[in-house]
Amino acid sequence: MTRSGWKKLLISALRLYTLLVALITVLMIILGTLLDRGRVFSYEAFFSPLLYALIGTAAAMVTRSDKEPSVRSLIIRKVISLLLIEGAILFLALNSPAIPTEKSWVLPGLALGVLAVFVLAHVIQYAADSKEAEQLSADLARYQEKQTGRI
Amino acid sequence: MKLEIRKVPESEPETVEIRYHWVTSEIQEIISFVKSRQGQLSAARDGKRFEVPVVDLFYAESVDDRVFLYTASDSYEIRMKLYELEDLLKNKCFLRISKSMLVNLMKVSSVRPALNGRFSAILKNGEEIIISRKYVPALKQVLKGGEAR
Repeated sequence: MTRSGWKKLLISALRLYTLLVALITVLMIILGTLLDRGRVFSYEAFFSPLLYALIGTAAAMVTRSDKEPSVRSLIIRKVISLLLIEGAILFLALNSPAIPTEKSWVLPGLALGVLAVFVLAHVIQYAADSKEAEQLSADLARYQEKQTGRI
Repeated sequence: MKLEIRKVPESEPETVEIRYHWVTSEIQEIISFVKSRQGQLSAARDGKRFEVPVVDLFYAESVDDRVFLYTASDSYEIRMKLYELEDLLKNKCFLRISKSMLVNLMKVSSVRPALNGRFSAILKNGEEIIISRKYVPALKQVLKGGEAR
């Protein structure tokens, strides 16, 4: 990969990481408030969104490709990425004393939460792309007007 | 092939004359080039040759080493490489949007997001073609008034 390729990769990874940290924090606030309101954490709890977002970003980077994948291959990559994230988060949860996995709702709740964050991250990225496409369409209209004027 | 270039008085029309023994691929290439400079491309459909006006082209696509031209409703095969066509049409509002495709920007009605950071160009005949991520910066540059690099 070229230097600019690495730079682009790093920027997109950082963008995804920041987005995931924000979404995971919101998810933890919602799930915690709804399901485990009385629980008290130490300052170490602030590491959780950072760590989970790192796992999500790593999974997304592992399954990305420089080539242009077909829609089918893209969907397969996304599914693998989601399964990797789900697996890693559930593994961490099962091995963490701070997460009460003995309660029946915790693991399904986490799995659903990961799915919600995954979908939301893609929706936000699609919204950003939509805005960019709108700008491109406006620039295109101006370009066509200018070229027609030349003729 | 002997090349002869002769200056003519302004009262005479500028002329390109090709004297040939056989219409070889080399001769055909020269004919295509001259016609393209006049705003037409020489292409074939169902074994017949057609002069396709460049302004009518929507996009050009390379498929298995063959290059096809697409108008609103027809397709033609042209005996040129895609990069040669790109070079020929670069000042005629055509831009490379993927490894195998050139689009006439004047025939694009809008752009919308596709999956994975790519965009789709919606053409004025309703067709939709993919703009690869790699070529989006060049598209932005051209639309802003610069030249694609």
